[in-house]
Amino acid sequence: MHMKKINLENEPKITSGFTIPDGYFDTFSEKILAQLPKQEQKVVSILSYRKTWYYAVVAILILMLSVPIYTKYSTQKEEIDSATLENYIAYQSNISEEEIVNLLQQEDLDKMKLEFNIDDTAIEDALKNNSNLEQYIIN
Amino acid sequence: MQNEKDFIAELLNPKTQNIAFKKLLLYYQRPLYNHIRNIVLNHDDADDVLQNTFVKVFQYLKDFKGESKLFSWMYRIATNEAITFVNQKAKRNGTTSEAMQTKIVDNLKADAYFDGNEIQIKLQKAVSILPEKQQLVFKMKYYEELKYEEISDILGTSVGALKASYHLAVKKIEEFVKKN
Repeated sequence: MHMKKINLENEPKITSGFTIPDGYFDTFSEKILAQLPKQEQKVVSILSYRKTWYYAVVAILILMLSVPIYTKYSTQKEEIDSATLENYIAYQSNISEEEIVNLLQQEDLDKMKLEFNIDDTAIEDALKNNSNLEQYIIN
Repeated sequence: MQNEKDFIAELLNPKTQNIAFKKLLLYYQRPLYNHIRNIVLNHDDADDVLQNTFVKVFQYLKDFKGESKLFSWMYRIATNEAITFVNQKAKRNGTTSEAMQTKIVDNLKADAYFDGNEIQIKLQKAVSILPEKQQLVFKMKYYEELKYEEISDILGTSVGALKASYHLAVKKIEEFVKKN
């Protein structure tokens, strides 16, 4: 029982009881010194590696942000363009019909022709139902 | 050790760095080992942590502002490394650091690098169940015989608070010994 009594204030002091392998400290400093130059290089490389990562992340972020911005602005532009263009041509321009005709291509003119292709029976029907029309045409 | 300012300058100068760092190693390896060993408890882990500590010291030397003493700064790095090591090891093993430390202390007899008697084992057990801060203060004051002022610089705790912690630790240890 007496052996198990602990008095921290009195001597002899109770040590931790830990021991160290023989010769551990004889080689320890050499072991560390051998690690250092490598470690130093590693630090530099880790740093530059990190730097590249930062750049990559920043680049990706810029791309990610710029895609929606780009699409937003580009679609807006198209909308404005077609709407204002139509309005401009319809109400604001003093372009003569002749000029427009000149701008139209053969293809466009063909399309317009088709729209005026009313078949004969339709004309006959119209004339039948509207006796006055014949008068107008003859005169 | 020589004037600390000059010594730090030698540590930072690439020409004198290696010799100065070797001096630093020889001067601090034993006390820092003991400090780390008291926290991690077994030799292999203490060896790992001591190596990491000196490598970190070397890496961070250029950032050392001399606001604290080299001594406290190195002890602080060693303490952080040791506590982080214990916590990570416990996490890896899916347990708490307290449970892991208790287990190590219970198996101290089987440790090839422990040759303590019953009293020494009993004191280790009593210390291992203290709250983390009290453990640290007790180990630094009792086992490592650091001064309160030194512990205060290392842990950033006031001397008054450290004294209170230590006395509380001693009281709990004595109670533990009485009960067991």
